Amino acid sequence: MTAASGELAARMVDLLPSCATRSAFAQSIVAVPLADWVTAARLARDELGCTLFDWLGAEDAGRPGAVGERHTVLLHVVDPSTRDGLLLRTEIGADEELPSVVPVWAGASWHEREAAEMFGLALAGSRPAHLLLSETFSGHPLRKDFVLASRVVRPWPGALEPGESTAAPSRRRLAPPGVPDPSWGPRREEDPS
Amino acid sequence: MTESTSPTTPATEQSATPLVFPSAADRGVEPLPPRTRGVIALLEANCTVCMICARECPDWCIHIDSHTETVQPEGAARARQQNVLDRFAIDYGQCLYCGICVEVCPFDALHWAPEHDYPGTGEHAVAELVHERADLGKWVEQVPPPPPLDAAAEAAPEAAPGRPGRGAPGTATRPGALSGRTRRPGG
Amino acid sequence: MTTTTSTVRLNWGTRYEVTVLDLGLACCGVEVMAALHGPGATAPEPVSADAPEVAHVLVVSGTVTDVMLPAVVASYEAMPSPKYVLSVGACSNTGGPYWDSYCVTKGIDQMLPVDVAVPGCPPRPEALLDGLRALHRQVTS
Repeated sequence: MTAASGELAARMVDLLPSCATRSAFAQSIVAVPLADWVTAARLARDELGCTLFDWLGAEDAGRPGAVGERHTVLLHVVDPSTRDGLLLRTEIGADEELPSVVPVWAGASWHEREAAEMFGLALAGSRPAHLLLSETFSGHPLRKDFVLASRVVRPWPGALEPGESTAAPSRRRLAPPGVPDPSWGPRREEDPS
Repeated sequence: MTESTSPTTPATEQSATPLVFPSAADRGVEPLPPRTRGVIALLEANCTVCMICARECPDWCIHIDSHTETVQPEGAARARQQNVLDRFAIDYGQCLYCGICVEVCPFDALHWAPEHDYPGTGEHAVAELVHERADLGKWVEQVPPPPPLDAAAEAAPEAAPGRPGRGAPGTATRPGALSGRTRRPGG
Repeated sequence: MTTTTSTVRLNWGTRYEVTVLDLGLACCGVEVMAALHGPGATAPEPVSADAPEVAHVLVVSGTVTDVMLPAVVASYEAMPSPKYVLSVGACSNTGGPYWDSYCVTKGIDQMLPVDVAVPGCPPRPEALLDGLRALHRQVTS
């Protein structure tokens, strides 16, 4: 099996000229504009023979200094006869809705709901909000700006310098990864009296 | 019911014969290899409270408290500061047995021991898994000796006879190969 | 004619025969399987599928996620008393390496009373058997 095969990517660009291919490390990714997302999916299934839905995932688009503003959605589908894969990629901004490929592959529904729940993407078409997280959960855990509250609340044993004890710590100079600065989080109500 | 090999005493006997769980030999399992990650022992004499293990632990399960004392060793020009360990605790309920602390300790104060029989029991079972300095020091008895050196390797500089080879460093009792041959003062 | 050895089920419940229900939630579940069903002539006999109603020892082995927690608690409540909880591995002791996760319960002792906590990530099968031995000592003392 050749995942993200270059040959299928080249044929996709022939069919849909608005796409562009980028190759690295023997893998090819086809960048599809958001408006052509479902069209590209249909062409992949009907013209390129990729009838097997493999996975759909999301990730932060990774602009330096602009964390969490745009997200990348990746779709990998496979041609069962040759077992070659095609990797499609599109970018979605904060205000945009992700068009659903469920009419093309019904199995994409779970993957789209998971991506929407974990990254806060807006999905076209209404579906129940919570798939994996509990009903009372707020926030989108896999976003880069999601802070793990446990790491904020629990004091880091390594914050002490040699020669200090927890009874009398000096100002914290070091913080482990994932702990934001002290201004993050709800403020405790000041005692009015 | 089939007769089992573990003795089950009739109701009349009050003192219970302990249930026999098959030992490693009975179960056809070899004894544990010496590098088994069972528990971490603290050799307190080697610890200088550098805090590297507490900082590198991915689980934040090493808790160290210390204070600084000024000591004046005999014959030294001035007094020096020394870190004194007050508390060194490893929370084995949290520990993921990765060994990063053992590897990263610059003074070999932490060692693996193959012991695995230390569950927490009673009302505060999970809290009993926090092992303080005294417990960690007791595990030092279980630490196996280091594995023997590779017989095919070159001899250590300390053991090799005569001067060391080209450019090799010296040891505490024998000068290195470049001693007396460089323009640096003292060597 | 009297027999000298027999397996007796006593009214005291768990002194000499325990039925163990293992909730194999994650990797520790594999080690518990190795301990309870591993090689050796004295492997215990598996009981029928409606296990919580006949089990006296609940072995929680593996990461307890927030969405799985109600199922674990329901298993505990379906057990007859006297019942004991054995927490196996770092994840069910304190949340383990996933203590900072957004969806992990930091130790099953937040909801259930734990009688024996076996440390490890994962603990060896021998460590689990040591934990069962400690539980037996605790119950018979």
